Amino acid sequence: MTPSASSGSDALIVASGLSKRFESLIAVDGVEFEVRRGEVFGFLGPNGAGKTSTMRMIGCTSPRTSGELRVMGMDPATHASEIKARLGVVPQADNLDIELTVRENLEMYARYFDVPRDTAAERIDELIDFVQLRDKATSKVDPLSGGMKRRLTIARALVNRPDLILLDEPTTGLDPQARHLVWERLYRLKQSGVTLVITTHYMDEAEQLCDRLVVMDKAKIVAEGSPRQLIERYSTREVLELRLTDPARKKLAASLDGLAERAEWLPDRVLLYTPSGDTALASIHERGIETDSALVRRATLEDVFLTITGRSLIE
Amino acid sequence: MRARKIVRRNWLVHWRSRRSSLLLSVLTPVMFLSAMGLGLGSLVQERNAFGGVEYAAFFATGILAASCMQTGFFSATYPVMSKITWQRNYEALVASPLSVRDIFLGELSWMGIVLAQLAIPFLAVMTLFGFVHSFAAVLAIPVVILLGLACAAATFAFTATLQTDEPFTWMFRFIVTPLFLLSGTFFPIAELPSWAQVLAHLTPLFHGVELVRMLTLYDLEVTALWHLTYLLVLLAAGIMLGIRNLERRLLP
Ligand SMILES: Nc1ncnc2c1ncn2[C@@H]1O[C@H](COP(=O)(O)OP(=O)(O)OP(=O)(O)O)[C@@H](O)[C@H]1O
Ligand SMILES: [Mg+2]
Repeated sequence: MTPSASSGSDALIVASGLSKRFESLIAVDGVEFEVRRGEVFGFLGPNGAGKTSTMRMIGCTSPRTSGELRVMGMDPATHASEIKARLGVVPQADNLDIELTVRENLEMYARYFDVPRDTAAERIDELIDFVQLRDKATSKVDPLSGGMKRRLTIARALVNRPDLILLDEPTTGLDPQARHLVWERLYRLKQSGVTLVITTHYMDEAEQLCDRLVVMDKAKIVAEGSPRQLIERYSTREVLELRLTDPARKKLAASLDGLAERAEWLPDRVLLYTPSGDTALASIHERGIETDSALVRRATLEDVFLTITGRSLIE
Repeated sequence: MRARKIVRRNWLVHWRSRRSSLLLSVLTPVMFLSAMGLGLGSLVQERNAFGGVEYAAFFATGILAASCMQTGFFSATYPVMSKITWQRNYEALVASPLSVRDIFLGELSWMGIVLAQLAIPFLAVMTLFGFVHSFAAVLAIPVVILLGLACAAATFAFTATLQTDEPFTWMFRFIVTPLFLLSGTFFPIAELPSWAQVLAHLTPLFHGVELVRMLTLYDLEVTALWHLTYLLVLLAAGIMLGIRNLERRLLP
């Protein structure tokens, strides 16, 4: 019996003080998180933050340097095969077998997981429909579009009916239709009780899919919570976006008091973080400041992300 | 043995892309032996230097062993590099319950099958040409497969450490080709200067060639054990180092 059977808790992944070092570079620095059964858990963060490195440690394809990690109650250092048997992995870059057809890719992968042949055949049929690749089932992988390859990679991650799926940027590079299709499929998986861990650079994706998420920056976790909690904690309810002439900009800067909790001065716009955008806009007009255009919108995860990780690109 | 699944996958790809390969693996020795062996052999009347056998038979045994060595080397270069970096098949495999050991041994087993597909028709053609002088010749098949695998495992261990494929050109030019020429393939190493003879004794091909000749042309001698030991040790070392290097590469 696997050790997981004895773990009564609902946490599918538990990490504490988890670190990964590549020679002198610290890719993951003492992170702590818990992924619960049945939830969609997200990793956000700028390029190089350590998301993929963390995912790979969970997926048992990169040994941790230090700290504790349990996946489905087991230690990746000692139970890699057992963990991987119950895991589905969608890597950041597709690594499909381009010498095989769509169907053969799934058949071979099912074999690696010891799925009995009859079960596999049936399941693969379902999966091909699930990711809408019926027309392409006998075609080679190479000529498929990026979106089709991505869907096939997702189907491949499902051949062993995993309890936990790791998706590293599942929709990067896809067109809006393909992204929506993937989202919808991931949502269905969640509904069927599968736990999903996902990394993404799309804040709308994170907001739609994730029950809880962490923001990583420079190898550390810098924020954690549900999308709504994060928005409440790091932003106001609304954002007023203004486009102003230079004199109006100066005037606003001089009389900002009481208008907003925080203002952000971008080259082309000014963002005012405020509980009510309309009220703020009214007071701006009262103060005689003319606006070229004004937009009141709800704060999004993107505002949170940029607030936490900063607007400038640090490479 | 999970490694079997890797063999299965390669078999499928191989069968699809090279259905003609069986024909090819018969034609190649036929061409080699008739053009080079018989053509060149008719000019070489000398027999003493070749242990009392005709040159064509001597040459055929050398080419059989050398081809297997070369195939062993080659199959662990570009094809492996591709699965590590370009197509990243191994990355997909390590995400499944397969271990790096399974992957390495699976790939090596497949290379053994490829070598068998080369060696068996080759020896059959040699027999038809009348170049085989003993029933023990059947044992030459596992021997040349062992030779090829020993070279493949060692090369695999090397390839697993590479970032680019540049060293391969270098390796073929300065290692494989000289081995091919100077390990007693085309002429007995007794013809070489003594320092080169010492070097030849260190090469896997020399030991493979010696074994093959003992089994097909001459009598078996006790030294066969030494040749066999050399190849087995090289294979074992290649496997151990190969698995270690591949683990470092695939599980950073
Ligand atoms: N195999 C490796 N060897 C050396 N350094 C590595 C290796 N893999 C990742 N790194 C480094 O670790 C750091 C974190 O990389 P990681 O891929 O985890 O970031 P990420 O958050 O996934 O970024 P992205 O959003 O660009 O995918 C980077 O500085 C990267 O260069
Ligand atoms: Mg990444």
